[in-house]
Amino acid sequence: MHLECNNLNFTYPGSKVAVIDNLSFSMKNPGFKAIFGPSGIGKTSLAKIVANSNTKIDGDIITESMDTILYSYNLERLPGWLSAGNHLNKVTPAGKEALKEELIHIFELYDLLDSRFSQLSMGQQNRMNLIRYLLQDFDLLILDESLANVDEKLRESIILAIKELFANKMFIYISHNLMEVSKFCSQILVFGKTSENKGCFMINGQDYKKNYQLDKHKLDITMLEIMNAF
Amino acid sequence: MLFKRIYQFLIVYTISILFLLMIKMVLSLSDYVIPGVPLIIETAGQVFKTYFFDVMNTLSITVLGQFMSIIMAFTVGIAGRKSSWIGSFIKVTAYNIQAYPIVALAPIIFILLGDGFISRLLIASMICYFPLLLSVLGIMATPVEDVEHFYIVTGQMRWQLEVKIRAFENLSKLTTVISGSATLAMAGTIVAEFIAANAGIGYSIRIALYQSDLAKILIALFVIGIIISMYQGVLETIGEQIKTKWSVSNQGEVI
Repeated sequence: MHLECNNLNFTYPGSKVAVIDNLSFSMKNPGFKAIFGPSGIGKTSLAKIVANSNTKIDGDIITESMDTILYSYNLERLPGWLSAGNHLNKVTPAGKEALKEELIHIFELYDLLDSRFSQLSMGQQNRMNLIRYLLQDFDLLILDESLANVDEKLRESIILAIKELFANKMFIYISHNLMEVSKFCSQILVFGKTSENKGCFMINGQDYKKNYQLDKHKLDITMLEIMNAF
Repeated sequence: MLFKRIYQFLIVYTISILFLLMIKMVLSLSDYVIPGVPLIIETAGQVFKTYFFDVMNTLSITVLGQFMSIIMAFTVGIAGRKSSWIGSFIKVTAYNIQAYPIVALAPIIFILLGDGFISRLLIASMICYFPLLLSVLGIMATPVEDVEHFYIVTGQMRWQLEVKIRAFENLSKLTTVISGSATLAMAGTIVAEFIAANAGIGYSIRIALYQSDLAKILIALFVIGIIISMYQGVLETIGEQIKTKWSVSNQGEVI
């Protein structure tokens, strides 16, 4: 499993400023990877370009063993005419009912299945939305702030469970949480501030999993490296 | 909703009558020009029943014409929602045709089809069709990205689902547009009756106009106002019930 971008350039139609300027990076093997950087730097644009092969770009995006790439983001909504549970049932592919039940349990949404999406809090909405993506067939799932507004403890247990349940899939996690990306991701693509003319850097994270011993010193170093590149 | 509409109409109607009476008093006009209250009441006693059935006759054409317009507007709106060449063609054609005053075509319809049911129905539906179509086209052609994204990227999007999502997300707009188009359909029918029909309240108003009988016209306007307010109120109530049944209120309790 391999995602590689070479000399990628992208400018929105009608704009003179390139959102992505000569970007090259490589992400290998399944697991959690991250894109980190300040707001408006091009993280979402890059994610959308990677997910949508029809976007006109200058440069190369090479994918190996990645037939299906999905992009999810935190402002998505489920239609409001049915309860959230009924919608989940409708989008669950045959044979994945047990996985759905397990995810509902892990995401702590069991008591909310009869509610309409608009009745849920933002964190609950984001969890409900993420479950339906995890139930689909994919090789790479991009999570653009998909766990925003979820409390830290639950977010940690969700990420650890996803890493365990989907060990052979790749995830690109877009977040502004420095500690989280440093701790859970194996590779972190850091977008430097354009105002300071900093480029992009790939930094290795701690890739923390269940039952692993986290070396806090190494975690501190990773965080410092990101802050220096940022 | 129903009573609110009727109250609103009664307030506007009363203010208008008082304004006319004020002009009559200030300019010392005779009952022939602006009738006094006793004459209006006397005329109401004479023509109210006839006018009521005339308005019901007009309303039946209005309802049928509006129903036809809604069906046509949704059919064309759904077909024209895509950004394909046929969608663009439908949109451009609709925008161009609606810019033309359709009522000006009414005489042609009467010449070709004669006066009667079909001509009134056609004019009523044509007059409320284009504004309805533009609204439906606008709603159906605007993606609800935060809801549709999942279905598109996972390959589960079907045209029926797309239409359902867009209709659901714009239910309030659609209800307002449909209830508002009732006035247009009524106006279309009355205009048709003014021009050449042989029945309906428009036809009765035309006769009252030839007689220069403002009292009759005021009674006709009163009956039209009450009936159309009730019809719009019924449409809005139906819309509210659909909204309540199809979705829960956004002000519902947050769990």
